[in-house]
Amino acid sequence: MAFSGNFMCTSFKKELLYGAHDFDASSGDTFKIALYTSSATLNAATTAYATTNEVSGTNYTAGGGTLTPVDPTSSGTTALLDFVDETWSSATITARGALIYNTTPNTTSISLTNPAVIVLDFGGDKTSTAGDFTVVFPTADASNAIIRIA
Amino acid sequence: MNDSGLGKVPTFKVDVHTTNGRGFTPEEIAERCANKIIAISDDANPAIRAQAHAFRGELLKTLVFYMREAVKSDRTTVYNALTDAGQTELAKYIRRL
Repeated sequence: MAFSGNFMCTSFKKELLYGAHDFDASSGDTFKIALYTSSATLNAATTAYATTNEVSGTNYTAGGGTLTPVDPTSSGTTALLDFVDETWSSATITARGALIYNTTPNTTSISLTNPAVIVLDFGGDKTSTAGDFTVVFPTADASNAIIRIA
Repeated sequence: MNDSGLGKVPTFKVDVHTTNGRGFTPEEIAERCANKIIAISDDANPAIRAQAHAFRGELLKTLVFYMREAVKSDRTTVYNALTDAGQTELAKYIRRL
């Protein structure tokens, strides 16, 4: 059992209610995206970043890349969030999916280490060979944005 | 929240773009950029959809032009840095790319 779709992690939803995640683009928390092979099992029950079955390859560092968030906004009655596309350059990588996680959560009210945010399923293995590997986030609108609260 | 009771997110799609033995071209990056700037719904009024597609086409041309300019300008910077470092042959190679 490997990847089975895109998931907003259940623990993340709970942590939002504890005020553990700050997505402000300039002063918020640090969010990272780690890539995983098809052997990884990541789903809604994933609670934190782990190195098991994380990708290894040229110009990929364990832990993944640091994301650049775009300030949260709203459209109609939906609040939404976007990230800038993430690229690993000159990389030789094969990945089936990814995990977005927070490396600097607010732990005032809840104990957390690298808590999971969202699991991404690429739908199949994606490979770059001595090239660029880019994760392209969806359009930041009320119907497609990667994180939405309706 | 945008999910079902199982926590699955049904409506967003993350794309992965990769290259082999090269980087992305200005045309490939401009496509991504245009998609960030303008999204055209299949359900939109046909007249508005046609107008939006026309706008996107013009936007794409402009993006490609300026991305090529940026690449050329950056090559000039790299050329000068390599020349200053005494790597004249490598500098010439970069300029010919």
